[in-house]
Amino acid sequence: MNRDGAILTVRDLRTHFFTQEGVVKAVDGIGFAIAPKQTFALVGESGCGKSVTALSIMRLVPHPPGRIVAGEIVLSGKSLLDLTQRQMRDVRGGQVAMIFQEPMTSLNPVFTIGNQIVEAVRLHQKLSRRGARELAIETLADVGIPDPARRFREYPHQLSGGMRQRAMIAMALSCDPTLLIADEPTTALDVTIQAQILELLKRLQGRRGLSILLITHDLAVVAETADAVAVMYASKLVELADVRTLFGKPLHPYTHGLFRSLPRLGQERKRLETIPGSVPNPLAFPSGCKFHPRCPVGRDLPRCQGQEPQLREVAADHWAACWECPGYAEAKPTDPARPMPYRRADDDPAK
Amino acid sequence: MASPENAELAASGPGRAGRSLWADALRRLRRDRIAVLCFAVILVYVVIAIVSPLLFPRWSDEHDYDNINLAPSGRHWLGTDALGRSVFQKTLLGANTSLTVAFMANVIAVPLGMVLGALAGYYAGWVDDLIVWLYTTLASIPGIILLVAIRFAFKEVVLFEDSFFKMDLDEGMAGVYLALGVMSWIGTCRLVRAEVMKIRELDYVLAARAIGTRGIVTLFRHVFPNVLHIGIIQFSLGFVGAIKAEVMLSFLGLGVGTGVPSWGRMINAARMELVVGRWWQLTSAVAAMFFLILALNIFGDRLRDAFDPRLRTA
Repeated sequence: MNRDGAILTVRDLRTHFFTQEGVVKAVDGIGFAIAPKQTFALVGESGCGKSVTALSIMRLVPHPPGRIVAGEIVLSGKSLLDLTQRQMRDVRGGQVAMIFQEPMTSLNPVFTIGNQIVEAVRLHQKLSRRGARELAIETLADVGIPDPARRFREYPHQLSGGMRQRAMIAMALSCDPTLLIADEPTTALDVTIQAQILELLKRLQGRRGLSILLITHDLAVVAETADAVAVMYASKLVELADVRTLFGKPLHPYTHGLFRSLPRLGQERKRLETIPGSVPNPLAFPSGCKFHPRCPVGRDLPRCQGQEPQLREVAADHWAACWECPGYAEAKPTDPARPMPYRRADDDPAK
Repeated sequence: MASPENAELAASGPGRAGRSLWADALRRLRRDRIAVLCFAVILVYVVIAIVSPLLFPRWSDEHDYDNINLAPSGRHWLGTDALGRSVFQKTLLGANTSLTVAFMANVIAVPLGMVLGALAGYYAGWVDDLIVWLYTTLASIPGIILLVAIRFAFKEVVLFEDSFFKMDLDEGMAGVYLALGVMSWIGTCRLVRAEVMKIRELDYVLAARAIGTRGIVTLFRHVFPNVLHIGIIQFSLGFVGAIKAEVMLSFLGLGVGTGVPSWGRMINAARMELVVGRWWQLTSAVAAMFFLILALNIFGDRLRDAFDPRLRTA
């Protein structure tokens, strides 16, 4: 166990893209921690830096133009940013695996499903071709693919979207990673399949003791699967809490806005509320609090316009970055890279 | 479980298991009658190209000064040339020259273009700059002039003399296909570069990296197979270009030497012959070329259709 009992600790991560138009600070000083067997959701609009955070953890930020300019990423006591390329390759797929949004494009069309899983297995484990094949078929069965021995020989285009995502999960899990990064794993799937995939992830998590970093913009998915949530806006975290606290008592006006823009059962039918304005241009972020031009609270407040609030622990294990939220003034800027207490610890590992 | 997935699974049946995109493309090609017909024509030419040197090994020395410039007859099907040699045999032997030159030129050009294009597209940065600079420079020089220059540079050059791999770059075919080969990789390179740039951004490449594959392995194992079809299509289309280029060079006297039968040389000879009514050399060479090029062109098109994912039907 490392110092704070976290599988993954990210501290003050800054990933910038050096483009011709200027420096895009895609991720600008974020920190969080994921406890063992926890599902940690990173929520935000498109372009807020969620995916870049994931790529930074994998050290797969496209370079050039992107580069991790500062920060610390510690995975099971190992500082990932200090590893050599070679060591990093062992981590990828070995300890951290990743699944993607688009199951249509995340499997290589020219190889069979089995071929791709076997390759992943043999990159990390000393297994014979036969042994790897058996493990692959076993994993395919494990992710709920019927007739895995046949699916093993099939090509991605012969599988449906849900099946492909399952195959992708099988590939990611074949080497028993401790952390799974799921970048919008259900966005491209229809709702029934979404539920199946989320159910599958939850089941696998219980059985394999997996930690999951779930990247999504879908609050319904968060409510259903996450233990802790970080809300990201314009390259920074604006709120961080366990899922109950965040859903029960959101503090940041942006989080409020996200909840208000959800349809509600039993509500009289009317136009859904939106957050006015749009995501700021990362080349020219607004001064002060980056959310202030869209904020119903701080739009006209001079402090919000002039000074950027940092993340502070406004209540126990509840961080927010907003001048106007209750308790912010007295709160201390404690390190948010501390694992959350999580509610689903022993929920259903038996299943 | 009666999910739609299972219904689809049942409908597809066991025969569908494990059919690759390649197998799919081949199946489409086999169903295409015109493509099959063209392929048959090409095969006939290939057989002629292989068999004719065995049938007429001494053709170029069989001078018969009593029977020069004879018109086609029962004895000489396509007449004789100025040295009394059979034009029929010359035409068949010309297929060997054409196909050898075209095949070898593409064996050089297509892999060269594919590897360079893949490297340029995948690595971007200075690798891309260098390769793009190389091919734009090459492309900016008029092709025929560069070809002529290369052919002159090959004058009286013989490589590996006294060995099995002897290459007579001046008189033999080797000089022609080397010159064509190093000049005709540009189109392939451009296409592959663009396609690799597109594929590089796809999730499965990132997925390959995310399971710990190293960069160069990702390129050649995961990206390259997805552009291989471009190589096949370019090979079939490049074939036509190379055949025409060989004929053209030989017509200009920059192609194969006098001892090598070639359609280009036959057409060249016709410059002097046609005015005196000796039409058979020209007609034979042009007819032989016409059917080969027609078949190759149509086959190339059909091949591209078969491999084009946009034209795929379920």
